[in-house]
Amino acid sequence: MTTCTPFAMPETPAEPALTSQLDIAGELTALLRDTTTELRPDDQLEALTLAVAADLPVLLWGEPGIGKTAALTQLAASLDLPLTTVIASVHEPSDFSGLPIVGDDPAEQGVPMAPPDWAVRLVRAGRGLLFLDELSTAPPAVQAALLRLVLERRIGALQLPPGVRIVAAANPRSSAAGGWELSPPLANRFVHLQWTHDHEVVVRGLGGTWPRATMPRLDPGKLTQAVDFARRAVCGLLAVRPKLVHQLPGNEARRGGAWPSPRSWDMTLNLIAFATAAGSSRDVLSLLIRGTVGDGPGLELLASLDRMDLPDPETLLADPATAELPERGDLRQATLDGVVAAVRNRPDKPRWDAAWALLVRALETGAPDLVVVPATTLAALRQEDWDVPASIEQLAGVVSLSRRADRSADRATARIAVAAQAGR
Amino acid sequence: MTTGAPGALDLDKLFAARLHAARARPYLATALFALHTVESRRVPTMGVDQYWRCYVSPAFVDATPVEELAGVWVHEVSHLLRDHHGRGDRATRVLGLTGPGDRLRMNIAADCEINDDVFGDGLVRPEGAVEPRALGLDEGELMEDYVRQFRLGPYTQRFAWLDCGSGADGLEREWDLGPDGAHGLSAQEQDAVRFRVAQGITGRPGNSSRGWKRWAEEAFHPPQPWRELLGAAVRSAASGSGTGEDYSYGRPSRRSAGLPGVVLPSLRRRPPRVSVVIDTSGSVSDAELGSALLEVAAISSAVGGRRDLISVLPCDAAARIVHPLCLGEGIPLVGGGGTDLRTGFARALRTSPRPDVIVVLTDGQTRWPREQPPCRTVVGLFPRHHRRASWDEDDPDYVPDSPPEWARTVTIG
Repeated sequence: MTTCTPFAMPETPAEPALTSQLDIAGELTALLRDTTTELRPDDQLEALTLAVAADLPVLLWGEPGIGKTAALTQLAASLDLPLTTVIASVHEPSDFSGLPIVGDDPAEQGVPMAPPDWAVRLVRAGRGLLFLDELSTAPPAVQAALLRLVLERRIGALQLPPGVRIVAAANPRSSAAGGWELSPPLANRFVHLQWTHDHEVVVRGLGGTWPRATMPRLDPGKLTQAVDFARRAVCGLLAVRPKLVHQLPGNEARRGGAWPSPRSWDMTLNLIAFATAAGSSRDVLSLLIRGTVGDGPGLELLASLDRMDLPDPETLLADPATAELPERGDLRQATLDGVVAAVRNRPDKPRWDAAWALLVRALETGAPDLVVVPATTLAALRQEDWDVPASIEQLAGVVSLSRRADRSADRATARIAVAAQAGR
Repeated sequence: MTTGAPGALDLDKLFAARLHAARARPYLATALFALHTVESRRVPTMGVDQYWRCYVSPAFVDATPVEELAGVWVHEVSHLLRDHHGRGDRATRVLGLTGPGDRLRMNIAADCEINDDVFGDGLVRPEGAVEPRALGLDEGELMEDYVRQFRLGPYTQRFAWLDCGSGADGLEREWDLGPDGAHGLSAQEQDAVRFRVAQGITGRPGNSSRGWKRWAEEAFHPPQPWRELLGAAVRSAASGSGTGEDYSYGRPSRRSAGLPGVVLPSLRRRPPRVSVVIDTSGSVSDAELGSALLEVAAISSAVGGRRDLISVLPCDAAARIVHPLCLGEGIPLVGGGGTDLRTGFARALRTSPRPDVIVVLTDGQTRWPREQPPCRTVVGLFPRHHRRASWDEDDPDYVPDSPPEWARTVTIG
């Protein structure tokens, strides 16, 4: 008599099968699960970790099936928080706002809103990572109840303790069938992170090696400095660009995304401080900033951070001989422009000479065409009683380079004119 | 600075050319200076990689006049600013272009996008630069459009030497230093440079060409496909409260039987009624209307609307008969002359039962109801930049308004 198995049994087994087909299947499954991990920096996971650490509501935007849940599992493990996943689309609104339970005398005792079991357990544990998945496929009433949970941290009569962190995930508008769309006030409360898959990671992972991200660690020694840096960065930009403080999204294409307001700038300030204290890269910071105040204002902030990184003109002028100029051409020219502007603001002979020495140094260590504009401006600052410094001899090459470019421009103009006549 | 050794890279010539380029196109100076030059004997001319390194052949610099080199500089930096590397990768996936010849096509298409307006006004066209006209194509289109329009053949034979590097088409070259090599720009740094260039162009738009202005406007806000935007607008209008599938306490849930004392809401379905008001005045083409109408029908059925709940109302100066969509494709879109969508709104709201959503497809040369109608409104707008505002005999001063604030407006096409 044969027992029923999911696999076809040979009619006459050559020998009595010691291991059943299910055991063999189990062995095969174990082999398939036997994968290794490798250390690999992951900017999006690092950005997510920092936002969760800063206790800001995060909304992950990504197509279904690209590993959002896997990322959250890894995040929970690294933060040492128990993970509670709630699939929003299979719940009813009352699961989040509480079930009204009619007692014996509702008029006297009121109608309590009973919370679901997972919320009770989460509150009892006092800490945990709550992942609200598939927000966008839930009916509107469920979404409304969930947003109250995310923003007020309340489920029915229960208040979530501060140790609980919340992350939500939604599908992009184009693939959201259920009509999910964030109104601007709601969108403004989230850090929006676009979740995409890395082709190389997926191929390597299916081949048996999944990535393991290094989690950012906050450095206790850097906290004061990080707060100071974040305040300088945000206030420095908003002081000169008051328009950026509040900008409602104007057109249809930008609806539902991040936009700047005092609230989201405050979130940005927090995130810059966290990223600085963790020593995160500019790319991670870029994801966080652009996900909080939007692309345009975010890029302006990043550009002003770049300018904050440039060497201070006064330090350079104080000691031109050992000055370290940025390697990248555009940053180097911005630095030299800054030096010339500093001399213009407070012109005197030693500063003017020091600036020439800096230009010579720039010429010795990099491309000559970057020096042309600062040298021309600096020469124009000369006052009558100032002697030309000896170092200027070394800049003769710059002058000839500039003339060569002039002649080239003349030839170009002439050739274009000839071509235009021939064309006619 | 000049190294006299034969075959060495003439840096002075190269940098004089870059200075010329930066003077001719001041708004590109940041990007030009951000490039890191790498001498390479394997690259045929000049090429860029996706980390903003610029590989230069010494022989090519020797053989090319300074003023042409200036043009090549601007050409190469344009590949990077316009993200031809990333777009090439995406286009490859979407169009399934995997052969080696396809990358050359991508490079030629990218060159066409750049070259039609990058030269002139102080910059000479380098010898052998590809132009759309040389391939018999129209000017002013994008790489993705060009790449579909030609095949490699006798026309493109003379461009076969052309190679702008992996920055132009996304395919790694043997000479690339790769992500770990020195002096590469990270994605964030590249965005920062693009942003500064775009800011320079939008700040002083007078100096730049039309192509660059368009690029600057769209660099960080690429126009979204109207189908998705219209879909999102109709979907959110059609599934708002009162319509679609949602919970309601109006009738107890079936779960209630097992839970005495607990009040549960139940899931109710009320499919939305959608009225499509179509502007059939002479200014909207049948092809545009057809594609937009199909789109609305597809979206409505995706949100649970039945075909019999969608009605179509052609409207010019007067609203005609309401057609249910289930009659098929035979809706007569007759009309012509001026438009007054107010009659269309009134007619749509008079139908019983009243629609939950009104979708208006128009070119906007019309008057709008003064007050917000008692249902959600989505406007699909066909842009008309070149056209003069329509003229009305009775009211010669009349200028058509833009769609009102209470409607969600999506620009189509």
